Amino acid sequence: MSVGGVGKPSGLGLGVPGTSRRSFLRWCAAASGALTPVVAGGLRGSPEALAQTAPKRGGTLRVAFYIEAATMDPHLSGSKIDRQVYHNLYDPLLVLDVRLGLQPGLAESWTQPDPKTLVFKLQRGVKFHDGTDFNAEVAKFNFNRMKTDPKSVRKGETANIESVDVVDSHTIRLNLRRPDASLLAALTDRAGMMVSPKVVQERGPDLERNARGAGTGPFEFVEWVKDDHILLKRNDNYWNKQAGPYLDQIRYRPIPDDTVKLASLQSGEIEVMDYVQPRDVAAVKADKKVAVVDVPSLASFGYQLNHAKAPFNNKALRQAMVYALDIEQVVKGVWLAVGVPSNGPIPPSSWAYDSSIPAVRRDLAKVKAKLAEGGQPNGFTFSVTINNIPINVQEAEVIQAQLAEAGITMKIKLVDSAALLSDGNNKNFEMISYQWSGRPDPDGNTFQFFKTAQGISLNWSGISNPRIDALLDRSREVSDRAERKKIFSELTRLLHEELPMVFIVHPIEPKAFSPRVQGYEPIPDGMMRFKSVWLK
Amino acid sequence: MGRFILGRMVAVIPVLLLVTAGIFFLIHLTPGDPIDAMMAESVDAGVKAELSRQLGLDQPIHVQYLRWMGRLLRGDLGRSIRNGQPVVEDVARRLRPSLELALLAMLIALLVAFPLGMLSAARRNTAADGASTAFALLGICMPNFLVALLLIFLFGVTLRWLPVSGYTDPLEDPVNGLRSLTLPAITLGLALAAVLTRTLRSSLIEALSEDYVRTARAKGLSERVILGRHALKNGLIPVATVMGLQLGGLIGGAVITEYVFALPGVGRLVVDAVFARDYPLVQGVVLLIAVGFILSSLAVDLVYAWLDPRIRYR
Repeated sequence: MSVGGVGKPSGLGLGVPGTSRRSFLRWCAAASGALTPVVAGGLRGSPEALAQTAPKRGGTLRVAFYIEAATMDPHLSGSKIDRQVYHNLYDPLLVLDVRLGLQPGLAESWTQPDPKTLVFKLQRGVKFHDGTDFNAEVAKFNFNRMKTDPKSVRKGETANIESVDVVDSHTIRLNLRRPDASLLAALTDRAGMMVSPKVVQERGPDLERNARGAGTGPFEFVEWVKDDHILLKRNDNYWNKQAGPYLDQIRYRPIPDDTVKLASLQSGEIEVMDYVQPRDVAAVKADKKVAVVDVPSLASFGYQLNHAKAPFNNKALRQAMVYALDIEQVVKGVWLAVGVPSNGPIPPSSWAYDSSIPAVRRDLAKVKAKLAEGGQPNGFTFSVTINNIPINVQEAEVIQAQLAEAGITMKIKLVDSAALLSDGNNKNFEMISYQWSGRPDPDGNTFQFFKTAQGISLNWSGISNPRIDALLDRSREVSDRAERKKIFSELTRLLHEELPMVFIVHPIEPKAFSPRVQGYEPIPDGMMRFKSVWLK
Repeated sequence: MGRFILGRMVAVIPVLLLVTAGIFFLIHLTPGDPIDAMMAESVDAGVKAELSRQLGLDQPIHVQYLRWMGRLLRGDLGRSIRNGQPVVEDVARRLRPSLELALLAMLIALLVAFPLGMLSAARRNTAADGASTAFALLGICMPNFLVALLLIFLFGVTLRWLPVSGYTDPLEDPVNGLRSLTLPAITLGLALAAVLTRTLRSSLIEALSEDYVRTARAKGLSERVILGRHALKNGLIPVATVMGLQLGGLIGGAVITEYVFALPGVGRLVVDAVFARDYPLVQGVVLLIAVGFILSSLAVDLVYAWLDPRIRYR
């Protein structure tokens, strides 16, 4: 699919012409209902497939997450849970569909006259919840805020935007520093979310706790009683009235304990649970009172190897260690098949996924050969730093046993997540657990991890390989998806050679619902958008 | 009495100094950094440097300590790194559920421990005593979270009598508030009841073997009066000690119960703050819990004096 060209985007690149929004959304609902998953888990009892009756207005949807949101300001937010609320409160310029295609959001259409310029035509008649208009000036204000606010954490995502010009009241032009094919996908999340300038100017830092009037989304902020709940109510003046919003209110609650969260769902105290632990999945699927939807995520879980320190500064030893792993066993035994063995950083739900590249297969003969090549014929010892979460510990123990069979000794160092992040950022590890929640564009799962970087970055391995750098740069310059896919395939093969990371699993995110919940569309980024949802 | 209290206040100062130094250096020297934790997936060297500077985290550790102590002496506990709110506000908001839970748990514990303890002491070595001992052992040995989960599945999921989790303020909505605190209070109260039962039982048995009790029996007083009026008062002192210690612990230490029942209490606040390396919040909360302990132990000492007129402080 080409990003360039004029006119309305064709979205799926499957020959679906630029039809009206209503029939497109119907198509999406049907497609998501009939979607045959590429992954091991399936869509089971998906509510939208069961919904035969017409949507009803009303009701409060009670949603539980494992922690509380950190802030209501999308430009200052670093946490995954915040995003769940934002996708109902704010609108991004572009939105994702179930196939990770890019669809119009606040941007009605876009063109790319040359590789370093993006022109967006903005939707008309959109108002923020505080009544102010959304227009080109507002969009420019938001981009500037992301780039210049001292506390903004969107600077990385917007780094390639040199400047923003207001062409007319509803058209903006982004002037890029370099061609960046991944930018459009970044605009489907926080980097593309528009906040009311009036609220920013009047409320300042208070916006982090009180987002009243700040968004344009299908739901409006009502209150955030800290540690207790966040309440949103339906935006009756929402600019896009196709397929919702139907719910009167959404109430988010933090429930830290997984067992209690499940018990709350089973006892009818909540209607939605964002994640079911692999160990609970079989039991929950057997429970008739609960509907489970397996959402194939964008995530990539694995370990980063420190290329600057022994033993993994030695390529042969890296390869020796990887050949000793039985990834299938790990995914079956630890993740209970709630996930797919990983063949690289790109998940199966992505258009760039190359199923012809196999996951690493265990080969003890190769281990011996590589150990000899690396000068450690009798094996070696190293330590892995992991987060003290039960499933991570189990995974490490299984890997420890697998490596021991091949003569490699792995010691386990357990830390909490703050210490893990610091160890990683400061490159104080030999092998360290890394669980990336994933981004819709393959660039989000690759660039910042494998490109040569100075100072603090997510490239914890410290890899600096000119061929990899060249491929990553090229993947941003080229806008044709088929070509980019070839580049990412080449990159993945190279990553299997150089091994900055060991790829273990692409997890599935099973989400659980009360059977009353209808109309849920499982978009692979795992974000729960409730606009089309209604209660029976 | 006034001089006694004053003396105790003065003696508290070196204790608090130790506590502040201890928690400050302990949390700062733990590996991990609040800004790394806050930024997580969005790490950016420039933003990190800027935030470090703003929060004073780029200063050497002893400078940071002196700055914090300076503000502390002016009554300023600082602001949470994560949400920029004053520590005092965060703590005040979370203290109420913890206090309510602690008091309710103690009430339940007392309501269970008194009859059981007195029964045990009066009917020593009988079946009733055996049953109450078994209950006490169970209460002491069963892990907190196990009791909590069992209660949730029985009363929350199966019977649906009580909410599974969450907190409603009893002062705003008494009925729903008490309902939301019942299971957590029972969880905490049972363990405490077990300890109190045993303590009361043994102190009552000791009191019942005193000479004055023999005299009272000889004078013809009924067992109930002897037990309830005479022995009980003497038996209460060790119980008061245990309660005092437990109360201090209950407020800051009911973390697991707060996690399981999703209660917004002080215990969860400080644990979350430790995980996030939110230094000012951790320091502030630990300091306040220390003060709470000190005050509750002072209260216990005063209760002694009230219980036993022979105890007087000079």
